[in-house]
Amino acid sequence: MSGFLAVLAAIPITLLVTVGAFIVGFILALGLVLMRRSKHRWLSFPARAFIDLARGIPPIVWLFFLFFGLSMGAIKLDALQAGILGLGVVSSGYLAEIFRGGLLAVHRGQYEAGEALGLSAWTRYSKIIAPQAFKAMLPAMATYFIGLVKDSSIASVIGVKEMVFTANQYARQDAETGIYTFFLAAVIYIAVSIPFAVVARRMESKLQESGAR
Amino acid sequence: MTETIAETQTETVPKGRYSGKVDIGLKTPKYLVELAQVSKHFGSNHVLKGVSLRVKPGEVCSIIGPSGAGKSTLLRCINLLETPDSGNMVVAGQYVDLGKPQDRRALLSLRRNVGMVFQSFNLFPHLTVMDNIALPQRRVLKRTEAEAKEHGMELLERVGLADKADSYPAKISGGQQQRVAIARALALEPKAMLFDEPTSALDPELAQEVLTVMKEVASSGMTMLVVTHEMNFARNVGDHLVVMEDGAIIEEGDPEQIMSDPAQERTRQFLAAVINH
Repeated sequence: MSGFLAVLAAIPITLLVTVGAFIVGFILALGLVLMRRSKHRWLSFPARAFIDLARGIPPIVWLFFLFFGLSMGAIKLDALQAGILGLGVVSSGYLAEIFRGGLLAVHRGQYEAGEALGLSAWTRYSKIIAPQAFKAMLPAMATYFIGLVKDSSIASVIGVKEMVFTANQYARQDAETGIYTFFLAAVIYIAVSIPFAVVARRMESKLQESGAR
Repeated sequence: MTETIAETQTETVPKGRYSGKVDIGLKTPKYLVELAQVSKHFGSNHVLKGVSLRVKPGEVCSIIGPSGAGKSTLLRCINLLETPDSGNMVVAGQYVDLGKPQDRRALLSLRRNVGMVFQSFNLFPHLTVMDNIALPQRRVLKRTEAEAKEHGMELLERVGLADKADSYPAKISGGQQQRVAIARALALEPKAMLFDEPTSALDPELAQEVLTVMKEVASSGMTMLVVTHEMNFARNVGDHLVVMEDGAIIEEGDPEQIMSDPAQERTRQFLAAVINH
């Protein structure tokens, strides 16, 4: 019973890792996609390389790098920080590509109309392109976020006390009943994911209503 | 501004036609749009072969010709949606050396003077009709929201769409979208308007309502450059007709004259094909 309560109590940590990593990834991805789309190779190449590394190296390896690797150096991250940063780096690679796809989905005529009207680059992107790109990339972004809720469990390997870590602790203490704590964790993951999916779908249909093409 | 004349290229220019010399010294320029020896490549494809063209204030200049002739590219060079390789131009008093990269301010001031209407309308789908017209005014002319909307409403009435102000572009017909696009461009009070095949994406009935609006804009004294396949518009509304073929102007002059008795055999062929289709 105490195992169940402990797993429930770990929900906030799971959400913290998920949301934290998503925010870190989102901010990094904004910079990456701008660099990636640049005409200058000295900007686009490093962005492309970073994106490939972020996606190509398994998340668990990123976490080991950041947690054990960095702690040998000057910067010392605790498990939670390393977990958020590591999953954030991984997320930035995926999100940058999602953003890029969203920008490509905006019709070329929209960019041209903005230019022909004499709108500044800032206005073109913030008022014309971004809202349309956001609509195009919302499904992919929602899917990634829901995936990240579950993938946050990887942070347990470096000792972040989220749900799976906690369930695992109890499973080790009592092999017979311990498995049920994992079952509880599974139910909670589903219970958290479904509302997000519903919210995303609502947002989508709302955006669809206003100015579908 | 120093006088730079792009006459170094030795294109043969038919007699009586403008050879490509930009008058920069004139205090009150005779022409609102002057292009001199505008040249453009897409890769190895020479799409504009030193085109020169002059359009007087208030004139409606129709540009016709077979597809691939470079008509749209020429139009898009005027507001620098395409970057020509060389040539120069004066648009509403602003001199532009086309061979050089343009700085941001020159580009914005050029585009402020020149409105454009696209074949595919290019309204912003996530904004209402009114916001499509109001947003550029607020950003480019720094009008307040109330001013922009008041002005926007006047223009919507002018194009007969005041009742669609709160609709989204997807909810109105193509012809209505194009009329909104014309209102959006007019809202910035341009000195010249570029129309890039404005009715090609519309069925004839909807095209007609757009042409009616364009005719009204023309009669208000707007300088217009119109790439079109609407021969009736070119003939009845247009003041000047330009025939392009293979990246060059092959014939230009009075629309009535050219259509009834073209000087070039190629023009004759083209006209026969489009009029009898």
